[in-house]
Amino acid sequence: MHLRNTLTRYGAVAQLFHWAIVALVITQFVLAERAEGLSPVAKIGILATHKSVGITILGLALLRLTWRLFNPVPPLPAGAPRWQDRAAHVSHFLLYALLFITPVLGWLMSSARAFSVSWFGLVTLPDFIEPNKAAYETLHDAHEFMAKSLAVIAIVHAAAALKHHFFDRDNVLRRMLPVRDRTPQS
Amino acid sequence: MRKYPHLSYLFVLVLVCGSVALAATQWTLQPKESKLTFVGIQADAQFEGTFERFTADIKFDPKDLAGSHFDVKIDTASVNTRDSERDDAIKSDDLFAVKQFPSAHYVAERFTAKGGNKFTAVGRLTLRNVTREVPIEFTFDQKDKSAWLEGSAQLKRLDFGVGQGDWKETKDVGNDVKVSFVLLLK
Repeated sequence: MHLRNTLTRYGAVAQLFHWAIVALVITQFVLAERAEGLSPVAKIGILATHKSVGITILGLALLRLTWRLFNPVPPLPAGAPRWQDRAAHVSHFLLYALLFITPVLGWLMSSARAFSVSWFGLVTLPDFIEPNKAAYETLHDAHEFMAKSLAVIAIVHAAAALKHHFFDRDNVLRRMLPVRDRTPQS
Repeated sequence: MRKYPHLSYLFVLVLVCGSVALAATQWTLQPKESKLTFVGIQADAQFEGTFERFTADIKFDPKDLAGSHFDVKIDTASVNTRDSERDDAIKSDDLFAVKQFPSAHYVAERFTAKGGNKFTAVGRLTLRNVTREVPIEFTFDQKDKSAWLEGSAQLKRLDFGVGQGDWKETKDVGNDVKVSFVLLLK
């Protein structure tokens, strides 16, 4: 498998970014869900991990976008209706945007409660806003809304990939997996 | 002596004046300009708290360390970490237990000069009814009739039982606490 993207497939690096972020985003929902209703101390611990993972996602999203700049993605399969192409582009754009916006809002909402964010105890991130209860409430709601939007769009995105795989029987899903194409092209 | 009854008065007067001159200066704390803060660790990140209300009875003279004396009383319920939820947790029975122990008390009596404007003192801190020796390091800068007293102490919260039940855990809520003070005296 190539490291870089080819004309028909995603390379190993792009695949690694994609699936690592998938796994981490799912982890985030599990951690956030579990934090509810825990004792204050346990909550501090689980949210510390949630914040560290969130900052990891932000970092990976930055690296991934940088990699993408120098690695044009393989085009969508020819012959699909125009609306599907557009829907794919819009949803990819939104997914990237949310991978940035959601962690940044989480970071800001932490600062708004005077809880600085530490990345796995190695680096403490700066606080860009002063503690402020009203700002915290707004940022909290926005963080949650963005996370939910991310979940909805990701589910649509996954459903579309599965539709390509099982109904259209093309390589759209396979090209993001370390498996051979259905119709080998090289 | 009978011949000169006034002499004995004079003798007493000299003695009193001498001891007054020798006794370390009694200072008055300027609460507005003074600050008593601490830095704790939560989820691997530092957070700062302030005690809004405290009194400090400071007798200090670099030339009379033996006669110097600090007596500080801190209103534990006046803790402010810029997050009301965290403040409520700190005031709760498992941490400061402010209802049962409304004040903390620090008394320093043994002072040592460390050269220049630097000094150390060994004192006893009583918190949650637990008394332990806590050394402090400080600088004393006098200018005319006012002086700045600035220093810090390192302590472990669990030494004083600040952390019962779940709060005994130190991975997410650090045991180390640094207390700092900047006092303006007149």
